[in-house]
Parts: sequence; C-alpha cells; structure tokens
Amino acid sequence: MKIERFDLIVVGAGPSGLSAAIEAAKHGMKVVVFDENARPGGQLFKQIHKFFGSKEHKAKIRGFHIGEQLLKEADDAGVKVELNATVAGLYQDREVVVRMGDEVHHFKGDAIIIATGAAENMVLFDGWTLPGVMGAGAAQTLMNLYGVKPGERILMLGSGNVGLVVSYQLLQAGCQVVALVDAAPKIGGYGVHAAKVARTGVPFYLSHTIKKAEGTDHVTGVTIAEVDNHFQFIPGTDKHFDVDTICVAVGLSPMSQLLKMAGCKMEDNPKRGGQVPIIGEYGETSVPGIFSAGDVSGIEEASSAMIEGRMSGAVAAEYLGYITKEEKEEILAKLKASLGSLREGMFAPKNRGKDIKETEEGIPISTNLLHKGYVLDSEIERFPGVTHKKGVHPVIECTQNIPCNPCQDACTRHCIKIGSHITALPAVDETADCINCGMCVASCPGQAIFLVNEDAGDRKAEITLPYEFLPLPETGMKGTALGRDGQPLCDAEVTRVRSSKAFDGTNLLTISVPAEFAMKARFFKAAAQA
Amino acid sequence: MAGRIAQHPILGCQNENKKIVTFHYDGKEMKGFEGEPIAAALKANGVMVHRYTLKQHKPRGIFCAIGRCTDCVMVVDGEPNVRTCMTPLAEGMDVRTQYGVSDKPFDQQ
Ligand SMILES: Cc1cc2nc3c(=O)[nH]c(=O)nc-3n(C[C@H](O)[C@H](O)[C@H](O)COP(=O)(O)OP(=O)(O)OC[C@H]3O[C@@H](n4cnc5c(N)ncnc54)[C@H](O)[C@@H]3O)c2cc1C
Ligand code: SF4
Ligand code: SF4
Ligand code: FES
Repeated sequence: MKIERFDLIVVGAGPSGLSAAIEAAKHGMKVVVFDENARPGGQLFKQIHKFFGSKEHKAKIRGFHIGEQLLKEADDAGVKVELNATVAGLYQDREVVVRMGDEVHHFKGDAIIIATGAAENMVLFDGWTLPGVMGAGAAQTLMNLYGVKPGERILMLGSGNVGLVVSYQLLQAGCQVVALVDAAPKIGGYGVHAAKVARTGVPFYLSHTIKKAEGTDHVTGVTIAEVDNHFQFIPGTDKHFDVDTICVAVGLSPMSQLLKMAGCKMEDNPKRGGQVPIIGEYGETSVPGIFSAGDVSGIEEASSAMIEGRMSGAVAAEYLGYITKEEKEEILAKLKASLGSLREGMFAPKNRGKDIKETEEGIPISTNLLHKGYVLDSEIERFPGVTHKKGVHPVIECTQNIPCNPCQDACTRHCIKIGSHITALPAVDETADCINCGMCVASCPGQAIFLVNEDAGDRKAEITLPYEFLPLPETGMKGTALGRDGQPLCDAEVTRVRSSKAFDGTNLLTISVPAEFAMKARFFKAAAQA
Repeated sequence: MAGRIAQHPILGCQNENKKIVTFHYDGKEMKGFEGEPIAAALKANGVMVHRYTLKQHKPRGIFCAIGRCTDCVMVVDGEPNVRTCMTPLAEGMDVRTQYGVSDKPFDQQ
C-alpha cells in the first residue's frame, strides 16, 4: 500500500480549512486540503450577502467573494486542494483514509487540521419527511448554487441568522415567504437581519412552531400553533398557511466524528453547538499534532473560522519547526486581537442564552424587534444613529451591539461614529455634513442605513433605501411605501435610482413620500406588486 | 423553464452559457442543464417525489441537497440508490422514481 506524506493535511476546504492551509503553506509547508464537495469554499459559496465585522474580517464583502479570494490565496501559496475527496478515517498516528470516487487512498500528515464544519439540525413534526420539507441549507444550495427556486410559497422555521438570511435570499430568488416561525419567544439572529425581512411584509411568529406539514405526496400546507413556556401547544392557536415548501433552520451541529475517531478528548458543550473536541486556545486537541478550527470546534461565523484557521496553521508550522516560537507568538498576537473583537457584543458566544435588556450604552433594547422583527416608531428615536437635521442626513437603525463597523469606514465625511470598539452602536454626528454619496447605505451588511431629507419641499420627504431585488424600480415609478412592519403606509414615487460598482449589487432607491412619513417609510413596493 | 431563477439581483443569470440537455424522468422527456445535479433539474421541472421508502412506502424528496441524507436517491440509468443531489445531469439520462430499491411501483414488484 502506497502512503503519500504531507507536512500538513487539512480536512475541509471551508473558510477555516483554506485559511489554515494558506498560513501553513506561506511558511513553506507541503499542504494538501481534502474536501468531499465538488467545489471548495464550504458554506461561503452559498452566502450571497455582505458580511459583518470590520475591514480586517473582510466585512461588507459578500460571502462567495470572500471564498473566491481565499481560493486564489491558497492557489498562490501552493496549496493542493483535492475535491470529491471524503475523509473516512483518521487515526492517532495521523494516518488519513480518503475516498476518491471508487478508490480509497491513504495519506500521512506530520500535522492534521480538522476543519469539517457543521451539519444542519432537524426537528421532528408531523409530516417532517414529506417532500417539500428541507433544510435551509438545501434551499440555499438550490437557489444560490444552481439557480433553481426551492419552492414558490415557503414557510421558514427558525429565526437565527441562518433562518433570517435564507428567508431574505428566498425573497431575492423571487419566492414568497409566508411566515417566519420560531418556538423561542425571541428572535435568535441579528435584529438588522430580521428587520430587512420584516419590512418587506413577512410576518414573524415567535413562540410558535409547526404542528403539521400537510399533504399526501408532498407538502401542500402547514399548520403552526403557539407554544407555552414548556413548548406545549396552546389549544385554539392554530394558524394555517398554503405552502409548497417548508424550510428548517434550527441550528447546526459540529461534524466532529473524525476527531473522536482519532482519539481526541471530546465534550458535550451546548454553548459550542454539541459534541466538540476539548481544545487549547489555538485549536490544539488532546492528541499532539492534531488541531481543529472553525465550526467543528464550536459553531460561530466564517469570520472567526478564518482567524481560527490561521491560528491553527501557525501553530502547526511551529510544531513542525517551520517557524520559531517567537514568530508564532507574533502571528498569534495579531490574530487574537482580531478574533477578540468579533467575540464581543450581545451575540458573543459567552452571552448565549443570556437575557440582555440594554445595549452597552445603557439604551433599552427594542422588545418589538425581538418579537416581531422590527423596531417600533415609538422606539426608534432613542438610538444614537437616529437624529434630525435639515437636508439629507443618515438615519441608522442598527440597535444592537454587533461586531460590525463598515458604516464608519464608508463615510469619508465622518458623519458616522462607532469608535475603536466595533460592537458599539453607530452614532450619527449631526455636526458633520452628509454629501448624500450613498456609500454608507450600500456598505451596511444589515441594510440598516437610510438617507432621509425630512423636508424636500412641497411637504414631501425623500428617503433613500438599500434595494437588492428584481425588477429594479425606475425613476418616476409610483407605488406604496411600507413601514418597518412591512405594512402599506402611503403613496410613494421613485425619484432616483442609483447603482454603481462601488455599491456592489446594492441599489439605492430614493422615494418621495408625504413629509409626515419621513421617519416611518422604509421600503417600496411598485404599484403592480402592492 | 419553470422553477428557474431567470435573473438574480446579486448573481445575475446563473445558467448563462450552460448547455441544455434532454433526459427522461419516468419516461417523460425533460430538459435541464448539463452538469447540474439531477435533483436541481427535477426541481426546476416541478418534480417533488424522488422515491418511496421500502417498508412504509412513504414519499421522499430533496432534503439536504449535499449528499448526506439519501432522501433523494433514484434509479438512474438502471442503477438504484443514486444520490441525485450529487450526480451531474448528462444528455440522455434515464431517471426513475425509486420504489424501495426498484424502479417498479410496489404493486408490480
Ligand atoms: C445561511 C448562513 C448565513 C451565514 N452568514 C454568515 C455571515 O454573515 N458572516 C459569517 O461570518 N458567517 C456566516 N455564516 C457562517 C459561516 O458560513 C460558517 O461559520 C463557516 O462557513 C464555517 O467555516 P468552516 O470552515 O468551519 O466550515 P464549512 O464552511 O462548513 O466547511 C467545511 C468543509 O468541510 C468539508 N467536509 C466535511 N466533512 C468532510 C470529510 N469527512 N471529508 C472531506 N471534507 C469534509 C465540507 O464539505 C465543507 O466544504 C453563515 C452560515 C449560514 C448557513
Ligand atoms: S451618504 Fe455619504 S456622506 Fe452621507 S453619511 Fe453616508 S457615507 Fe457619509
Ligand atoms: S449600521 Fe454599521 S454597524 Fe450596523 S449593521 Fe450597518 S454597517 Fe454594521
Ligand atoms: S438530498 Fe440528501 S442526499 Fe440528496
């Protein structure tokens, strides 16, 4: 039996695996990455939205573009990426068994990094096996990789970031999302992700779950009902929807089987998403020479997965003597600071399950945002991004402490302030003059920034909003302005449409509405659609 | 084709320049793009049921779309248990609903 040897074998070509491979190869190591998929990039290639974080985390770049950048970097660094290669076995002596087509190959790595990511969880309900019930990841794969609609009328179960993001992407693909449902009493994902779905008119049903998927051969409808504190159905609260598809986004579990097989010490850690290896700060498992990085060692984000990958790559490089301890420490120090800034804020791993009532600034969180997906008109004024002034000015409806700051970087006029602590709420500096360039609107991954001219003359207000749907409305088009709650408010006319390479796919729609709706109108529906 | 996203606001036209091929689904002629997963082509043609389970004869369709759950297996060119979400579509393929492990409905088995 022929066994090929590598300095480093990485399992998984997602953001963490590719980053680990790049870091190691940069220091001269001979590296191979195996991935069972036909394309590299892991989860990134399905993510068509702009990412959070700050510049060093590749914020405001769309996920699939980050994936392309990583692949190019890996290629430049001389990393070998083997696709359609499933790693079926990993043994303590760092031997790796790989299935490629009908053949089984054996490899040996002086170091191994496991970056296999996570798998989607499922919930059982009556009818859950019917065709038409699918994972949110499956829906994403169909629409974003293959250009096929997962269904026409869809109900989404799960209000974490995955459920929210995939709901928005379903709308972008031209599907109808009839409801977003979660058994939890509060929306689990970022408020800004929820708000961009809610303002299009998708209703949120928190403290609700699926009772039954209906249909004989495939899904034709669904009944949901309210649940009490013990997740028991409350009689008389049934609600029925005609749907052809039900998407389930109820969390991810680390795919840590290989680590277990290799004899790494494991633990069951709900905060990290399930069965995970017990690891040191930089992904060192209990078995020398075997490391783990990314979602497999705790469900987080692509941004953190990339940093963890780099860290484990650097540690593996030192372990095999390709860099000195001092060089390693220097690399790690930088990465640690970068990772730390991502792990702050309300959604940080350490805050999971906590009932947070106030922002870091001491402002009460919008309870409506947590229950319905949008901030009420009566709540919005208390946030530092919402100010009033003559002429065009930004209104920032970003009301939770999340690690994100592209808005601050986007504004060359310094209208927007977050400071060095990237989870702080963005504040608008009223003394700075906005030149209506639109860069902040387009660069906000949460689509939470609007440009408002409260007095555009003739008792009208003008509102500029981000728009990522087709067909793109044209100047002069008439329609209806919707509120944050997605309900029709008043007549609106499109006065300007801006698209530019710098806006990266986000169009800027300016609508004119009666002045009293300046702080209420947040979405536009063309007349035919309304 | 029904079920296709003709123009996507971020991804543009996703199937531009792809070759259209003809295949058969339970004897019916259908069109899809060469190289896309069979399951994607079926979905675009409105097919929901891929197979019926062996014991309880329950329908199954696309569930994970990444080759993990085996719900989408069908009889392809005579071979049963082919994961249609992972298998690329080719000109002239014969794709059949799988009943248990056969392409014959249960009452004919
Ligand atoms: C809808 C959605 C939206 C998201 N939005 C964001 C966001 O806005 N910002 C953000 O930072 N993150 C986001 N994420 C999270 C992010 O995508 C993941 O955290 C990240 O991809 C994890 O990276 P990873 O490298 O650990 O794993 P993955 O990306 O899952 O990659 C793992 C790879 O390992 C391969 N693999 C697994 N097992 C084997 C095996 N045995 N043999 C060979 N290969 C194997 C898989 O095929 C896969 O390619 C989102 C996720 C989802 C689902
Ligand atoms: S529109 Fe331009 S000038 Fe005005 S706040 Fe946004 S980035 Fe700054
Ligand atoms: S407003 Fe700023 S901090 Fe909030 S989501 Fe947008 S870019 Fe990020
Ligand atoms: S849909 Fe799960 S294996 Fe194909």
